[in-house]
Amino acid sequence: MDNMGVFLQIIFWGLYAGCIYILLATGLNLIFGVMKTVNFAHGEFLMLGAYITATIFFLTGINPYLIILLSMLALIGIGAVVERFCFRPILGTGKLNEIFLSIGLIYIFQNGAAMIWTDEWQSVKSPYDGITIPVGSLFVPLDYILIMVFTAAILCGLYLFLNRTTIGMQMRATSQNRKGAMLVGINVERIDIISFGMGCSLAAAAGTLWIVSGQIFNPYMGSIPAIKAFAIIILGGLGSIPGAIIGGLLMGLAENGAAFLLGGIWKDAISFVILIIVLVVRPTGLFGEKGE
Amino acid sequence: MKYPVIFIAILLITAFFAGCTQQQATAAPGVIKIGVIASLTGPASNVGTNMWQSAQVAADKVNADGGVTLKDGSKAQLKLIVGDDESTQQGGQKAATKLITDDKVDILVGGYSSAVTSAYEQTIAEYKIPYIVTGASSPIITHRTDIDTSYIFHHCPTTDTYGQYTTMFIDQVVRPAVNKKLGASADRPFRLALLYQDTAFGKGIQTAVNDTIVKNNLKIILISQQSFRMGESDFRTQLTAIKATNPDAVYLGAFPNEGAPIITQARRDIGLNTIFLNAENNDNAQFYKDVGQYGEGAIIESRFSPYTAPAGAVADSQNMFKQSYFTRFGAYPDMMGASTYEGVFIAAKAIANAGTTDKATVRQALVDLKMPQIIEVMKDQTISFSPDFRESTFDLWMEQLSYNATLGETRPVIVWPDNLKTTDFTLPSWYMAGSSS
Amino acid sequence: MHFKQDAMRKYGIIAILAIAIAIPFLTDSMFILNLLVLMLIFIIFASAWNLLAYSGQGSLGHAAFFGIGAYASTLIAVKSGITPFVTIFFGAAVAAFIGILIGLTCVRLKEWFLAMVTFGFAIIVQTLTVSVLAPVTGGWDGIASARLLSPSIPGYQIIEYFAVLAITIASIVAIWYIMKSRIGLAFLAIRENELEAQAAGIDPVRYRLLAFAISAYLAGVAGALQIHHIGYLTPELYGVDNSFWPVTYVILGGLGTLAGPVIGTIVLTIIWEGLKATGLTFGRYVIVGAMLILAIIFLPRGLVSLPEQVQEWVKRRKRKEPLPEPAGD
Repeated sequence: MDNMGVFLQIIFWGLYAGCIYILLATGLNLIFGVMKTVNFAHGEFLMLGAYITATIFFLTGINPYLIILLSMLALIGIGAVVERFCFRPILGTGKLNEIFLSIGLIYIFQNGAAMIWTDEWQSVKSPYDGITIPVGSLFVPLDYILIMVFTAAILCGLYLFLNRTTIGMQMRATSQNRKGAMLVGINVERIDIISFGMGCSLAAAAGTLWIVSGQIFNPYMGSIPAIKAFAIIILGGLGSIPGAIIGGLLMGLAENGAAFLLGGIWKDAISFVILIIVLVVRPTGLFGEKGE
Repeated sequence: MKYPVIFIAILLITAFFAGCTQQQATAAPGVIKIGVIASLTGPASNVGTNMWQSAQVAADKVNADGGVTLKDGSKAQLKLIVGDDESTQQGGQKAATKLITDDKVDILVGGYSSAVTSAYEQTIAEYKIPYIVTGASSPIITHRTDIDTSYIFHHCPTTDTYGQYTTMFIDQVVRPAVNKKLGASADRPFRLALLYQDTAFGKGIQTAVNDTIVKNNLKIILISQQSFRMGESDFRTQLTAIKATNPDAVYLGAFPNEGAPIITQARRDIGLNTIFLNAENNDNAQFYKDVGQYGEGAIIESRFSPYTAPAGAVADSQNMFKQSYFTRFGAYPDMMGASTYEGVFIAAKAIANAGTTDKATVRQALVDLKMPQIIEVMKDQTISFSPDFRESTFDLWMEQLSYNATLGETRPVIVWPDNLKTTDFTLPSWYMAGSSS
Repeated sequence: MHFKQDAMRKYGIIAILAIAIAIPFLTDSMFILNLLVLMLIFIIFASAWNLLAYSGQGSLGHAAFFGIGAYASTLIAVKSGITPFVTIFFGAAVAAFIGILIGLTCVRLKEWFLAMVTFGFAIIVQTLTVSVLAPVTGGWDGIASARLLSPSIPGYQIIEYFAVLAITIASIVAIWYIMKSRIGLAFLAIRENELEAQAAGIDPVRYRLLAFAISAYLAGVAGALQIHHIGYLTPELYGVDNSFWPVTYVILGGLGTLAGPVIGTIVLTIIWEGLKATGLTFGRYVIVGAMLILAIIFLPRGLVSLPEQVQEWVKRRKRKEPLPEPAGD
């Protein structure tokens, strides 16, 4: 294989891995934009989405790509419950409380999942496993292309929802000015629930796509991707979806470069080295305007 | 109602606690207490649960066969007490102290993860209680010099052994097969690549492979040594680097949750169509499920498999253990379970030989122990502990996976060594050797 | 009323001390004694974390300082042969120094940026420990550490318990003194309103760094104590567990109070061991997580405020007033 081929392949994997991060980061941005809330337990929703898809798949054998919608719907519900009973009561009591609350949620979801599904590693086989299609000089598994298509479709759907529907426009209004939104009669608490639920359903989509592509999973799968998604949105700027996409791709490249040059052990640490350097230079993130 | 009241209440509860736990410590006559240290919670809990359940199967068997006969002719039953090390060092230390000082167990079995086990070895040394370690794969456990490890016995192959057996297998079987395929001369150096987890486990394998090659002056060159972080899920960068060096085979120092994705990504995404050699911990049902069709042709070094048993004597006893475990828990045991199962038998045998539960006498009985192999194949078919580091010597085997289309999974067959194998090693038709230089 | 409260607090402290001193003579269970030593160490650790939070900075990577203290103290003790009772404080000084360095990158950051940076810092330190620093630290294999006291001394466990108890008391007294002093007031002022604090002539950067240094120092003392107690050191010490436990203890006990970390650690240790005795495995974490969330929502000032809260609720019920929206102010 020539060097150009290798390079293209690495870019392609960066795109594929980036899809998961982009969905997670977009969900986080959506929630943060509206509620100004951070949820460090966001990765647990990815894990729940993955397990819900896997469970339905094991029970019925339906094509897992179709289950993604069920899984997303389920997570809207779970997200709404978490928002209503955990985050709403502490809204406005300080950012630290949200961080501490997330730790409690991590304990509950990870170990609750382990109680229900055990903490053995599991896997789901895609019906398209083993099918590759030629793209230029490389052979790409069909699953990876499907994942990119699904991610793009979900993001387009989200874009249309935010720009064309009343609720979507109310969400954007709340995000721009919460008090103003209240003044014009928007029920901001309802908007909070909806955006939290939608953020969670994007995580569920990420979880589903991740396991369908042949990744094996266990209840602790969500933490690291979520933490990286946070690093990405800090780098890319809070609330900026293009920033999240560029940040996700850059992070993917930096990680793979570090694994290659410094050894695999540096793969996680490098994200944080970059994060710290960026924050030292610009305490508000690369593209962030005012931080929060 | 101010805080002092709560303070006092809390402390009274603590004191009450202290009182309660102390009362449990009375030893009933005719009972031998075996403490089992296992990770029932935390990241290692699936292995830990397997170990604890295997120990229960073993104790039931010993008790059903009449228990242990002591010197005075009395029969004693085994009673297991579990200590959860929570997969952490503090947890391990608490569990060991509790088993030794509160439950007053006569002997200890179990222990997974070298990091956790080393945290309470100090306590073992201090109370001088015999401990049969059945789950930690690092040789450091009994090689430490800063404390007295003379009460610690290691019944579990170490990464040294894994690396040594696998490297010898490569030299004796894979290298000639590749040379034959290439039509190369017998002294063509074999191009081996290593991809290992950056932990004591993976590095132990790396060291063992390097040492075996140098010590035996083998015609194997290590063309690439790549590492990854524990729990990693994307290995494509390392695999691309390995592929660029044209390897004849790749040895993986990985856990099952890493080994299966590595092989899948290498064969499906990178097109690295070569032989992958895996360490024994990959030989569990989940690995076969996760790796699916891509496992074909791969090698696993093993001592206990869910799907195969070696030709010869231990096949029946292995199947019996798997059966009784399955009847009781609805799943199959893994190899850490198998050695823990044996650990309970070894403990019972040592106490029977000693005729007493006196700890120094039992330790001596373990030193002198010579008992026939139970379910795993041992060197000379005998379980005994080496005089220098008190390690038992396993006879490991190599199995090759072949795809079974009806199951949609691969299944193993033993291909080495000659006395255990059921068939021969073959290079798959899609196999691509490294550059022939 | 105020006078009475003070008096009761005084008697309470005396009572705890009396019980803490009496326990080793009430029980001969080494398990309890060992558990208490680990608990005391975590009281220091949780208090250290609490002091940083007192200045408005919530760290999610305090395991880094816990571990640095342990490694530095162990290396000094092993290389020089000096008793761990002395090297603990040198090791902690190294942790404090690193704490200032990381504090420098953090002082300008707010809440969850800071949480992310500290979390990542623990991962970076662990990575350094097993890669670049492996020749000194032993990498993933770890290294043997000097013990606080040789097991050959008769009754050494009890002596060790009292030694750790003394260090714990000293740490809490030190924190009490800091909280009461001008430094503590400055921490509080910065936490409440940084701009106003600045207007009042308090330099936030200096005080935030100071909080980092003291907190890292005490976390280092705790880490060193634990490792000299256990006798073996591996990089697992930097794990997320060790970063999250102090947070859980403090939130449950009462954030920003002197007694909070103490009560939180004691209560959770008892609950944890009690749940373990019932045979629960994953359920333990679920219960702890639920307790944490309930505490944040319904008892935002932790267990130390429980008596006042109960009185408040009872009073309101008597007046037939509706319960207020919890924690919302």
